[in-house]
Amino acid sequence: MENYGFKGPIPIIILILICLPIIILYGWLILSSFAVRMEGLKPYGWTLNNWKFLLEKPTFFWQAGEENPNIWVYTFNTLLYSLGITIFTIFICTTAGYAISRLSFRGRRPLLALTIILHSFPSITLLVGIFVVLLFLGLYDRLLGVILVRVALQLPFGIWIMKGFFDSISWDVEMASLVDGCSRLKTWYKIMLPLVSPGILALSVFTFLSGWGDFLFPYIFIPSKTSQTLSVYLRSLTADVRFVDYGLVTAVGLYYMIPIILLYIFAQKYLLNIYTGGTKG
Amino acid sequence: MRILLENLSKHFGKVRAVDSLNLEIKEGEFLVLLGPSGCGKTTTLLLIAGLYKPTSGNIYFGEKIVNNLSPKDRGIGMVFQSYALYPHMNVYENIAFPLTLMKKSKSEIDKMVREIVKFVQLDEELLERRPGQLSGGQQQRVALARALVKGPNILLLDEPLSNLDAKLRLIMRTEIKHLQKQLGITTILVTHDQVEAMTMGDRIALMQHGKIQQVGTPDELYNQPINLFTAGFIGSPPMNIYNSKIGKDDEGYYVLVEESFKLRFPEKIFRELKEENIFLGIRPEHVSISLQPSNNLISGIVYVTEPLGREVLLNIQVGKVLLKSIAPQNIKLSSGDKVWINFDVNYCHFFDKDGNRIKI
Repeated sequence: MENYGFKGPIPIIILILICLPIIILYGWLILSSFAVRMEGLKPYGWTLNNWKFLLEKPTFFWQAGEENPNIWVYTFNTLLYSLGITIFTIFICTTAGYAISRLSFRGRRPLLALTIILHSFPSITLLVGIFVVLLFLGLYDRLLGVILVRVALQLPFGIWIMKGFFDSISWDVEMASLVDGCSRLKTWYKIMLPLVSPGILALSVFTFLSGWGDFLFPYIFIPSKTSQTLSVYLRSLTADVRFVDYGLVTAVGLYYMIPIILLYIFAQKYLLNIYTGGTKG
Repeated sequence: MRILLENLSKHFGKVRAVDSLNLEIKEGEFLVLLGPSGCGKTTTLLLIAGLYKPTSGNIYFGEKIVNNLSPKDRGIGMVFQSYALYPHMNVYENIAFPLTLMKKSKSEIDKMVREIVKFVQLDEELLERRPGQLSGGQQQRVALARALVKGPNILLLDEPLSNLDAKLRLIMRTEIKHLQKQLGITTILVTHDQVEAMTMGDRIALMQHGKIQQVGTPDELYNQPINLFTAGFIGSPPMNIYNSKIGKDDEGYYVLVEESFKLRFPEKIFRELKEENIFLGIRPEHVSISLQPSNNLISGIVYVTEPLGREVLLNIQVGKVLLKSIAPQNIKLSSGDKVWINFDVNYCHFFDKDGNRIKI
């Protein structure tokens, strides 16, 4: 390993100081989810009561008579939402990325430019428009509707990333496969897709995570409880500031984070690919 | 299979990469497309492979026009400059790939792969490896095996030796030529290296600016270059070429080379040299030197000597002219020494002012 002049403990101390607030808050989150009550950063009494939500349907007294779906429904919805976004995004980005990287067609450059502009577009400005479109298509209040919206917003970034990965593969390989007996389409899935698999993996993880953490679109476009995702559910727990059950909120929060942490641990190196781009032959 | 290119053109926008090319490649022939980079030789190869569609003109395989046939249906095998092995497959899968696409049975594929592996002298132990774990020479053999395994009628080689180190290049050069002769397969090789072209090809097509300058056997290109471009491109060290003028004095006709010295030739040669301004060309091996002065020799001064091992390349200054001459290795000369030069008049080439050969 090369050392670029940053030696000794000082840089590490500085980094720890900067990260400390975040680390303390996560520590507090974990402690609080197993504590009866917290006073500042200090837990009083240990309990598993906060984790009862895994088994029971929670009811809140301000929702007298109403019944919330249990946590597994929310989890399933979130999973469906994230996976849906991932599958659609990957399918469209690998085909579009290939086309933009490899085929010459009218309007290729404007399309490329447009993709970048769309990427920098603040999606919040589209809310009303999207609402009207979803209503018109009969997709309002349905998971599929939000999935499509999210995919559309994810595309510019994804296409750009996949184009970069396709660009890094030499033409020779593709030509060789055409000579060896593949059609263009067969070349795409037999030769090109395996070669950009690091890109596909990275984009999948990235998209899945962004879907898992998504709040705004499910919150706005899915008012029904039965199709809601975990982020919206978590928000509903803190809806009334006076009666927030912090034990429950932190437990659900921790539960919500577990898949992300696991994914990060296993997929770190693929995620790094997205920023360095390219495959290793 | 015989290949015929008829007025073949390929334009990219305004660039005429290949410009009305006419060329016939005979059945079983080893033809080399030679030229400097950007001359259109690789484009021509890709046109033959079907990876590019011609802008105009026709490509015949045998008697059939194949302009619109896709590469997979042309019965060709191809080796790329970068070898273009599939990095995600091991060597065995790479070689078997064309066969799996032909939907052959597993046992048949296995038999054919092992046969071709033996034929290109690839170590069977390497079959399980990934291309990234092979040396350049081994990758080259895999690429050759993959190109040959389906028994193509035509073999296309795009600068196959340029990524190898000098020693391996010599080995593979011999080997590819040997394979080609054994199989008798019609082969087209693209290269910018004239030594490679001279040593490997039955015939060479020398290209420049998308056009063929000269087609012929290596011997023809070397000894009867049709124009200045061929004369300068073929041969290493290159031919000495000089701006010259024809004149006459008391002793008869002479050629004045670069206003520096006069050369005299037999009378009959001057009957063909009608114009005053010509180019005179002579290869370094036909310029001999002597350490003893003589009346009919031209005196010059050694500018620099370049030992080549087997022989020495002498750069000799005569007036404004710098001459290259090949001398035996045992000659003891150094910069500044005086020498006398003799031109072998039988090996002088004459070109008119447009650079075309004047036949003597």
